[in-house]
Amino acid sequence: MLVEHSERGEAMGKTTGRWTLALAAGLLLGGTAAAQGASDEAYEYFARNCVSCHTIGGGPLAGPDLAGLLDRRDRDWLSAFLLDPAGVIDSGDVYAQALLRDARGVYMPTPPGITADLADKLLTVIAVEDGLDKSRFAGLQLSDRPLTPVDIALGRQLFNGTTAFASGSPACFACHTVEGAAGFGGGRLGLDLTTVYARMEGRKALGAWLGAPPSPVMAPLFQDAPLDADEILALTAYLKHTSESGVEQASSGVLAFLLTGLGLAAVLLVLFDVAWKDRYRSTRRTLVEGRRSPRLASRAVEGMEGTP
Amino acid sequence: MDVRSQIALIFHLDKCIGCHTCSVACKNIWTDRKGTEYMWWNNVETKPGTGYPTRWEDQENYKGGWELKGGKLRLKSTGRGRIIPNIFHNPSMPSMDDYYEPWTYRYEDLFTAPEGDDQPIARAVSMVTGEPIDVEAGPNWDDDLGGSPIYAENDPNLEELTPEVKQMMFEIERMAFFYLPRICNHCLNPSCVASCPSGAMYKRGEDGVVLLNQERCRAWRSCVSACPYKKTYYNWSTGKSEKCILCFPRLESGQAPACFHSCVGRIRYLGNILYDADKIVECASRPDNELVDAQRELILDPNDPEVIAAARKNGISDGIIDSAQNSPAYRFAKEWKLALPLHVEFRTFPMLFYVPPLMPVIANQDSGSVRNETEDLFADIEKARVPIKYLARLFSAGNEGKVRYALRKQLAVRLWRRHKTVGDISAEQAERALLEAECSPEEAEAIYQLTALASMEDRVVVPPAQREMAIEALEDPLEFKQSTGFGFLTGPARGA
Repeated sequence: MLVEHSERGEAMGKTTGRWTLALAAGLLLGGTAAAQGASDEAYEYFARNCVSCHTIGGGPLAGPDLAGLLDRRDRDWLSAFLLDPAGVIDSGDVYAQALLRDARGVYMPTPPGITADLADKLLTVIAVEDGLDKSRFAGLQLSDRPLTPVDIALGRQLFNGTTAFASGSPACFACHTVEGAAGFGGGRLGLDLTTVYARMEGRKALGAWLGAPPSPVMAPLFQDAPLDADEILALTAYLKHTSESGVEQASSGVLAFLLTGLGLAAVLLVLFDVAWKDRYRSTRRTLVEGRRSPRLASRAVEGMEGTP
Repeated sequence: MDVRSQIALIFHLDKCIGCHTCSVACKNIWTDRKGTEYMWWNNVETKPGTGYPTRWEDQENYKGGWELKGGKLRLKSTGRGRIIPNIFHNPSMPSMDDYYEPWTYRYEDLFTAPEGDDQPIARAVSMVTGEPIDVEAGPNWDDDLGGSPIYAENDPNLEELTPEVKQMMFEIERMAFFYLPRICNHCLNPSCVASCPSGAMYKRGEDGVVLLNQERCRAWRSCVSACPYKKTYYNWSTGKSEKCILCFPRLESGQAPACFHSCVGRIRYLGNILYDADKIVECASRPDNELVDAQRELILDPNDPEVIAAARKNGISDGIIDSAQNSPAYRFAKEWKLALPLHVEFRTFPMLFYVPPLMPVIANQDSGSVRNETEDLFADIEKARVPIKYLARLFSAGNEGKVRYALRKQLAVRLWRRHKTVGDISAEQAERALLEAECSPEEAEAIYQLTALASMEDRVVVPPAQREMAIEALEDPLEFKQSTGFGFLTGPARGA
């Protein structure tokens, strides 16, 4: 049961019922170690906030693999780092600086709502999971098979919403765009995802992100309706494809949108002018100016005489 | 028969001297507030001329009044369906330029200008923006044919005249014009009321005065385009439309409206008529040349016992019926057929009637004396400097017979009185004139009395307002009895 869940990765944060089952299994397998201080709360917290950047024994994603973490640094240091990652990094700590370099200069964000107690519990969770043969946090096990054009096509459909996600969550298109997206391009609320595959450095990290998106906007949407592994693979394939073939759109899409809008507005104005062509214009001024200038005279006569 | 009472008005154009006293009296009482500067609830136009606003009579342009479409009456400007795409931008709305931009002068500059080589001047400033403007038009820009030929030549009523006749009219020695004072016509079939999307306009039940409820007006301005006489005005300051209220506060206290009261030429007559509301739609749907008769048909004889019974049944009090029996409006418009409605072809059935003016005639000069050309008693009418065709276009939807009848009768009365007082016209000639004009000597005397000698009481017969009864229909006058008046801030120890 536990193995199956950790393999699929998608079980994270699904339902409390499932978590109870998983925990029960964990307790059975993990023996007394698991019982010491690791708690439902910390497991759930880890699953929600940590797994998009870290695995335990699954290799590095955006952040380092946490396997053997407690062997590498002592608990006090780790606790302090968890409470204020940026503070520790900026204090000039050598190890923290090395981590920053490994992460290509990206600071680890301060875990939301972290407390000393919670940090301690999280470290316990990491220790317990590290002690297992295979941690459920080993990360999403995406197939390593070569990506095919079929995957890319499915990914495009999922991105554009022409094929719905099995869980019913909203299509990427609603908030994001990529090069070559349908119509006027996708939404502009989120980032342009054309080169996200390259930015995230590959399928593993992107897959982990998609498995449990941690960003403030996406998290509440996908928490209770996660994508399944096949969908993630297809999206990864599509985003890899766009990353290899396209460049980010910059402002040309916005300009096209603006110009189309202006064009349509002009067409509408012309239509209105035709529909209301008999509308009242001016009487007195036309009359007087028509008399003064021959150019306007014909207009004045036409306007004034009415129909016989 | 659905008998109702309506105040009707007569303007005797033969007596109007174009002094604008009426306009000024009205302006001083009602429209000297901010936003109403350009409103002339009463204005006096010179005819031929384009009027105010410019060419208001051209409904191809302004889309006012009713039209017959497939035998049914419909508004030219709007309708239940047509208002939907047009409500936020009414396509037939006159602009400020078609009225005029109201202005005043910076008089203080005359006093405050520093010493210099030139005389100080008071610049014209707009009363809308406060900025200096070049005055381009005013409410009487073409008064007394000023501003001609641009204005007078473009009078829509001249369209049917031949170019030769038009040219004759404007030759300097033949030039002729008359005045046309205008107020709200308080129509029987008002297109402004019909067009209002907010239901802000109504005809007062007891006397048919058309009013505009300032509380309910939502500034759609449908009435401005729908009124063919352009007698509702939009107040740009309050965002509500306003119109002539026929000085109803004065009427209710038995006084003549201000423009009537101040009229120097005593051209204005007021009295109520009884009419049959059931027949309005049918009468308004007749062909153009029958409309004058149709409107007269609506007006009932207040001395007919059947009409009186029906009026009583409708709750019209004896006081109002008595007043209708003495109404000068009834006599001019229906009994004598002297007064005609202005532009009856707009099908609103205006309740303001005009006695058409007898114009100066074209005469022959014969060795120093002026002589009429023929023996025909009525030749003068046909030879008037303003063609009957033109008057017919104004007052009878082109039906020349109606105008000719009214002019002949007026002329016959003149001949009759001339025979009586001067005596250079023989009794035989005078009687023949009356006969040809379908006028008895008694009628001629009555017309003479009411035209030339009538006192204020004869000219303006205000029906009893009976507000105490009119108000009972809407509210209980005893509602607050015993509940208002003397009171206490701190209650008395007993008997509070």
